[in-house]
Amino acid sequence: MVLQIGALLTAGAAAGLAAHAETLGYDLVAVTGAADGPDAWTALSWVAARTRRAGLVAVLPRPPRLPAVLGHAAATLDALSGGRLTVAVGGPAGELAATLDAVRGVPLWVTGDDPGSADLAGRRADGLLTPLPAAVPAALPAAASAGASAAGSAPAASAAHAAAASAAHVAAAEAAVAAGRGAVAVRRVVVVPAGAAAADVLPLAADVVLVAAGDAAGLDRFAAEVAPALRAAPAAAGAPARRRPGIDRDAVPASLTAVAPGDPDYPRVRNTYLRGGRPGIVLRASSAAAVADALAFAAAHPDLPFGVRSGGHGISGRSTNHGGIVLDVGALNAVEVLDERRRLIRVGPGARWGEVARALHPYGWALSSGDYGGVGVGGLATAGGIGWLARRHGLTIDHLRAAEVVLADGRTVRADADTHPDLFWAVRGAGGNVGVVTAFEFTADPVGDVGWARFVVGADDPAALLVAWGAAVEAAPRDVSGQLIMGPTRPGRPAYAQLMAMVDNADPDAVVAALTPLAAAGPLYDQQVVMTSYAAVMDNAAPGHHRGSGEPVTRSALVTHLTPEFAAAAAALLAGGAAHWFQIRTVGGAVADVPPDHTAYAHRSANFSVIAMGADAGRLDAAWAGLAPHVDGLYLSFDTRLDRVADAFPPATLARLRDVKRRYDPGALFRDNFSVGDR
Amino acid sequence: MTDYGHDLLFGAFVTPAAEPAQRAVELTVAAEDAGLDLVTFQDHPYQPRLHDAWTLLSYAAARTRRIRLAGNVLNLPLRPPAVLARSVATLDRLSGGRIELGIGAGGFRDAIAAMGGARLTPGESVAALAEGIEIIRQVWDADRPGPVSVAGTHHRVVGAKRGPAPAHDVRIWVGAYKPRMLRLIGRAADGALPSLAYLPGGITDLAELNRHIDTGAEAAGRDPGAVRRLLNVSGRFAPTGRAFLDGPAEQWAEDLAGLTLEYGMSAFVLSSDNPDVLRRFAAEVAPATRELVAGERPERL
Ligand SMILES: Cc1cc2nc3c(=O)[nH]c(=O)nc-3n(C[C@H](O)[C@H](O)[C@H](O)COP(=O)(O)OP(=O)(O)OC[C@H]3O[C@@H](n4cnc5c(N)ncnc54)[C@H](O)[C@@H]3O)c2cc1C
Repeated sequence: MVLQIGALLTAGAAAGLAAHAETLGYDLVAVTGAADGPDAWTALSWVAARTRRAGLVAVLPRPPRLPAVLGHAAATLDALSGGRLTVAVGGPAGELAATLDAVRGVPLWVTGDDPGSADLAGRRADGLLTPLPAAVPAALPAAASAGASAAGSAPAASAAHAAAASAAHVAAAEAAVAAGRGAVAVRRVVVVPAGAAAADVLPLAADVVLVAAGDAAGLDRFAAEVAPALRAAPAAAGAPARRRPGIDRDAVPASLTAVAPGDPDYPRVRNTYLRGGRPGIVLRASSAAAVADALAFAAAHPDLPFGVRSGGHGISGRSTNHGGIVLDVGALNAVEVLDERRRLIRVGPGARWGEVARALHPYGWALSSGDYGGVGVGGLATAGGIGWLARRHGLTIDHLRAAEVVLADGRTVRADADTHPDLFWAVRGAGGNVGVVTAFEFTADPVGDVGWARFVVGADDPAALLVAWGAAVEAAPRDVSGQLIMGPTRPGRPAYAQLMAMVDNADPDAVVAALTPLAAAGPLYDQQVVMTSYAAVMDNAAPGHHRGSGEPVTRSALVTHLTPEFAAAAAALLAGGAAHWFQIRTVGGAVADVPPDHTAYAHRSANFSVIAMGADAGRLDAAWAGLAPHVDGLYLSFDTRLDRVADAFPPATLARLRDVKRRYDPGALFRDNFSVGDR
Repeated sequence: MTDYGHDLLFGAFVTPAAEPAQRAVELTVAAEDAGLDLVTFQDHPYQPRLHDAWTLLSYAAARTRRIRLAGNVLNLPLRPPAVLARSVATLDRLSGGRIELGIGAGGFRDAIAAMGGARLTPGESVAALAEGIEIIRQVWDADRPGPVSVAGTHHRVVGAKRGPAPAHDVRIWVGAYKPRMLRLIGRAADGALPSLAYLPGGITDLAELNRHIDTGAEAAGRDPGAVRRLLNVSGRFAPTGRAFLDGPAEQWAEDLAGLTLEYGMSAFVLSSDNPDVLRRFAAEVAPATRELVAGERPERL
């Protein structure tokens, strides 16, 4: 996270000081107000119109009476300000949940230094703001503690306050870890008087320092005398790698288009499909050369998060971040036929699978991909690609013939079976670890009309259903690929599952014959079977920019057979309610024809890929633990536990991958998504 | 045949569309550049396709210098009155006295309840609005000694500090159609702000609206002339006159002047998101209407 310095202003003074603070280089303007004084929200909205770049923080001392109205107002202010809003809300921790639920799509901080606030911030918020003892900054004489603190002897009261604040931040970080979010999920936000000295502020190890200033002189002094020392200071002891330098927008190479907070496009690029983010800068590249420039820029900011984005559907959400750099190659989205005879195509990472399917359809071809047309090529084709054609045609990566890769050192290389074979191996399953793919060459398959089915079956006995469906899938011809979706079972409510399947066979009778055993897995409530095209099935994505918020929480595993033991554990998971989405996709078949050491995706013997999605990582882990004895490994596209590289890659694969990484990305530039690097 | 003699105001009723985000702000600036007196936004906090009206008003006020701004109308059940009063006062001070308070009892009861607002019967809405106005006026009356004290059935603010005071005498305009609400306007508000499109009998209903407002004012010992009559209108510029506010600018002026002279309307808020239409309204209709009205009004002393 970048160290950010903000001006904390009262609603009465904000309009007069905000633009000045921005000119002085304050990263944030925070506005607060007492309940019976000038209104902070109004003043902040005014400030939004009179500033351009500074982040805007609404510091609300109490939860609003109508949280939903605040949620709507926050969406408006965030949109009007070009995505600059953060909402900080204080008050009894028990009363804040409704506000945290209602305010979506903007970073949320909890204000307080009591254990309840710290815990809530750790579990649910993006920051913990520990206030000064006197909450209203106007009450602070600007230069009050300047002399005292220069000598290193802050008044006793403020020392006690600092101790309480840092205890709260530690507690919040612990709560975040317990919730499976990682300690850095919660920013440490502190308030300091304008008269504070660097020596007072540094020990707080803050990510965000809000300077409570009542006048321009206080802002001037802090900006001139203290801010430079804070920005220059290395990470404080005990707070490793929390403090990071800023991003110099002017240093962005001309080949790239930069989008930063405050830009009109920023709200459209900050988030991904599932995860909310607030990157410090998004660099859009439309050529391999521009990608190389972006990598040099990222390398110059070694302490910042760095994400690579193609289609923005990554489930771990690492194609956005907080305060870091995002390289967006979405513009590289061409789909071309290179050699019609060999069905050789070239696809840019920014293309979406729905577009690829549409482009290939006129040729009578299809390329095995995922199940959703909105997913980007770049993320999926570097990880695996488990979709509607998997059992017949294998994974997406099994069709890759060559990749154009920009390496960490800026070189653009072609990786195929003969040139950079190790890189080619790594790209197919761990591409995000070794470079940025700027073009993929695939062989497409001839695929005609397909059967496409959706069944709704009763799941009052979910374990029995799973076993029956699993057996039917394994017995089915390879033409058949599909998936099963279940939600939490609720007592007293009829439970059901959705079964979907594609049959790559243009003969309707063969389709019906292949599907009948699947539909018999449980009592059939509803069914829909059509003959259609792969492209029509993949035409299932909603357009528009990504609006993900918060942190996705998913768990993935691979399973050989849906045994009664596995099924019982899965049924228990569903009954516990910790997972609101549970899905099993079929693999096996052609996927298993490829030897495990052939690509960096090694889970070739599995017949099923399982994913569960929850809201609370701790609860989901507890429930997921029941599956552990019956499953093996994980698919990194489906899991948010970034440190589980040993599950993503079996030992031999991991060893080889580490070796490739050491050679192609020795500085671990690509480290944000299941990194096998040393950093 | 009542003309209450107010100066005429010409305003815009701009859709606070959430996308594109800056569209309503650009239209506000266009309305100011065109020379209109007022820009207003509807307020439906439960409607994600629309901006939050208060946030937008605050932002748009900071992007303009001269034009006045108001909600049309703000939803009282979702805007607790003491908070609203302080918000209005804050913005009025920031904007140099350009804010008026358009307020209403809130139409969509289910949507309001879903947002956490109280579900009120029409009768209760009148009482709640009366209490709300009383709280707002007490908050604004910052120099008066003693705290705010309104122990209402629907809104209760007892013992809260007064202030801040707005920079100017903010007018409270209420969107209303029903007799009880109109009498409340006569008693306690500074203006009525209905939409012509919602009057079942059209223009002639205005006489009835006025009568209720006047009754309310007189019963409270106020001069009915103290209550401005505003009207949301829509129309179309066309080369030849076809219907009310459907014709050339000169005809619009005649139509509106008629509303002033016969029904006492003194503010016309045109519903349009077209900057060209707003420009014509300001440049052609407003001066011609003013001229027609001035010609008919008796000389003031
Ligand atoms: C609704 C939905 C449905 C899905 N269905 C399936 C499915 O059926 N089968 C399946 O296999 N997966 C599926 N996925 C997972 C999907 O394949 C991965 O999330 C994939 O990473 C998304 O690719 P993207 O380019 O859209 O994502 P992004 O978020 O842009 O990227 C995700 C990650 O991939 C890496 N990456 C991205 N671009 C490049 C590049 N050009 N070079 C190198 N590395 C790169 C980075 O590590 C990045 O963090 C689904 C995801 C969603 C959200």
